[in-house]
Amino acid sequence: MRTFRDMPIKQKLTVIIMSVTAAALVLTGLGIVISDSLLFRATMRRDISALAQIVADNSTAALAFDDPRAATETLASLKARPHLTAACIYLLNGAMFASYLRPGESGGCPAATQDQLRFTSSGLLIHRPVDLNGRRIGTLVMLYDLGEISEHIRLYAQAVLFVLLVSSAMAFLLSSRLRAIIAEPIAQLAQATTAVSETRDYSIRAQKLSDDELGKLADDFNEMLARIQSQDDELRKALLAQAAALQQTQEVRDSLRTTLASIGDAVMSTDAEGRVVFVNPVALKLLGMAEADVIGKHLDQVFHIVNEFSRAEVESPVTKVLREGRIVDLANHTILITQDGTEIPIADSGAPIRSQNGSVQGTVLVFRDVTARRRAEQTSVLLATVVESSDDAIFSKDLNGIVTSWNRGAERIFGFSADEIIGRSILAIFPDGQTEELADILECTRRGERIEHRETVRRTKAGELLNVSVTISPMQDPLGRIMGASAVSRDITDQVRAAERLARLNADLQRSNESLALNNQDLERFAFIASHDLQEPLRMITAYSQLLIGSYPGQFDKDATMFVGTIVEGTRRMRELLTDLLAYTEIRAGNEELAEVVDLNLVLDDVRQNLKAAIDESGAIVTNDILPKLRAYRGHFQPLFQNLIGNAIKYRGERPPRIHVSVQEEDGKLRFAVSDNGMGIEPSYHKQIFEVFKRLHGKKIPGTGVGLAICQRIVERYGGRIWVESQPEQGATFLFTLPNVAVHTAGEN
Amino acid sequence: MDGASNQRRSRILVIEDNPADVELLRRALRYAGLDCELAVIDDGADALTFVRQSGTLSGGPVPDLAIVDLNLPKHGGLEIVAAMRANPLFSELAVVILTSSSAPRDRAVLERFQIARYMVKPPDLDEFLKIGSELKQILAAHDRRERSIPT
Repeated sequence: MRTFRDMPIKQKLTVIIMSVTAAALVLTGLGIVISDSLLFRATMRRDISALAQIVADNSTAALAFDDPRAATETLASLKARPHLTAACIYLLNGAMFASYLRPGESGGCPAATQDQLRFTSSGLLIHRPVDLNGRRIGTLVMLYDLGEISEHIRLYAQAVLFVLLVSSAMAFLLSSRLRAIIAEPIAQLAQATTAVSETRDYSIRAQKLSDDELGKLADDFNEMLARIQSQDDELRKALLAQAAALQQTQEVRDSLRTTLASIGDAVMSTDAEGRVVFVNPVALKLLGMAEADVIGKHLDQVFHIVNEFSRAEVESPVTKVLREGRIVDLANHTILITQDGTEIPIADSGAPIRSQNGSVQGTVLVFRDVTARRRAEQTSVLLATVVESSDDAIFSKDLNGIVTSWNRGAERIFGFSADEIIGRSILAIFPDGQTEELADILECTRRGERIEHRETVRRTKAGELLNVSVTISPMQDPLGRIMGASAVSRDITDQVRAAERLARLNADLQRSNESLALNNQDLERFAFIASHDLQEPLRMITAYSQLLIGSYPGQFDKDATMFVGTIVEGTRRMRELLTDLLAYTEIRAGNEELAEVVDLNLVLDDVRQNLKAAIDESGAIVTNDILPKLRAYRGHFQPLFQNLIGNAIKYRGERPPRIHVSVQEEDGKLRFAVSDNGMGIEPSYHKQIFEVFKRLHGKKIPGTGVGLAICQRIVERYGGRIWVESQPEQGATFLFTLPNVAVHTAGEN
Repeated sequence: MDGASNQRRSRILVIEDNPADVELLRRALRYAGLDCELAVIDDGADALTFVRQSGTLSGGPVPDLAIVDLNLPKHGGLEIVAAMRANPLFSELAVVILTSSSAPRDRAVLERFQIARYMVKPPDLDEFLKIGSELKQILAAHDRRERSIPT
């Protein structure tokens, strides 16, 4: 709850006015009520005393004549007084003579005690003597209740209360008027101050409502506000100006910092004590340090430089600048040792930073990594050495063909010493009549074109002609203008001669190869056509020979039948030969692709099936290793194995043939072997047996002499080789290799 | 079948340049007991003209079977078969290739030209004579097929 002190003035005023008014009214009312009640009491006492005297006087006769009835009647007249509770007349001996009780009253008369008039709790009690001629003959006692008084007081109190309320209301009304006069200006002033303090708008003014002290206060307040406003404006302007100035400074500083940061050289600056105050990123990179580790440190702590050769510490440029107060350059061969020990050759300079009054405020140090330049210098020294020691002739000439440099290689190749030829025209090494070539070369050079490995002829001092390979490059001055050409000439006389010889040989070889290939092709085509077309007439001979015998049964004698039989047999034999020959030529004539996966185990199964009759008849046992799958042409491997296994059965020994097919990997190739226990082959025939139509046996063992040739042709077609290892009577092993075209599967050995 | 051959003699067109083979073929057909009329064209160009001009060369009706050799002078047998298939008259004709070339033919080509049989001339006389009964079967099968097509 707010205490009175904290109440707004408005309420305070109301409270004060109301409480003063109320206090005055209450006190006044109380006074009136009290005085009136006292007055009323006195009046009542007098009135009752008078009444008691009258009643006592009127009762004298009744008492005197002992007529109680009359006394009672007298008393009964008292009923006109509604507040009279009881009235009794006692005899002197105290006996009751007459009495009156207000109707409805229950108690009796109070006993007679003394003559007096007093207020008791039940009312006003009056004792009055009844005298006759100055002699007391009885006592009148009356009891008067106080209802009248209280009624009177209540009435008064009500009036007072009413007056109080009315006057309070009036007071309240008045106070609100009054308080407006005083509180309103104050409230306004308060509002104005609040507004100013909240909005900081110093243009707000308090309203002046009167000319009294409050009016004065408003005036003073407004004046104060006006002063504050003007001061505030000035302050604001000053602040704005300051901010603008600050921003400008900041911009200048930023741009300077950006400039220094983006500059290609390393830049550091120090204060007058040599402590680093600025370092740009290039410098940090060279130092190998972070900015935080550099700023504030003395330059000597972060910038270690030594002489490249003596390794002695070089005096800090800062110290030197601070001492001498002028720009200093580092000596050559200064090496910066960075944080991690890397050595970087640098070039640098230091300069003092002077304030406006000329005192040295600090230093600025600019340095750069000269590794590349150093390397370039070393390279050029190296290049000069290379040029000088080169076996090739390296020289240069200007745009007029005048020689400007000449190395030892040139001296050696062309026979001119440098002294002899420098300053002379290069035409000296051109064969007579080749001025056009020089003009052409110089023209190319002027256009900036390079001539690479041009093979041409030059002349030595002694007049000997040389084959040379020359490379001529334009040379530019630092402004990019072509000022001459460098030339590298290599003596390739021997090479050229060797190459010419080689080319001749190659051409010969190619010619003979071509004719060979042509012959080979012709031969193959011939063989193919021959073996194919020869089948036709053979078929005719066979058919018609048979027709001859069949059409004339019984007309041919024994000889004639034998002759025709021989014809048929001969043609059959010839057909076999042609069929095999055809198979042989078709191995290369065919245009099959090598895209099949051939499982050699299945091929071998087919071969066993095809040779079933021969195997059964000879009792041969054909075994094999698990063979690989190849990416190859199925049509090749069946005849290959069938010929080899068929031969093994055909050329068997005394015992039943045992044939085994094995395979093993050798030098990245597959080596197959088909070995048997047959009659074997004399080593002198080991080569011959692979030739077409070459046979070692007569008609006893049938055959065309093409089988092994077919085998060889198939194997060679895959880039492999086939040969035989055998001795007579000791069986034979036919071996062949194939490039490892195996398709790797789990079943492979 | 027997009824069909009794009704009329089968007409067989032989396009073959080797008279010896024609003679063998004639004997083979006779050996098979096939009573037929044989028309022979021994030149590729003539055969082509015949096929293109719908039989005006022979003046006769369309044959029941054509036996074509592949290696013919001037025009190959396949060219002639192609011409046959292009002519509605011969489009349904039963064609047998009989050649000395054993080079395996592309099955797709044979199917495209609806070749009834591809035969290699057997070197042996007995084998050759067996061709006759094969041709007889083909004729019969073709005849049956033709008659089964509703008119």
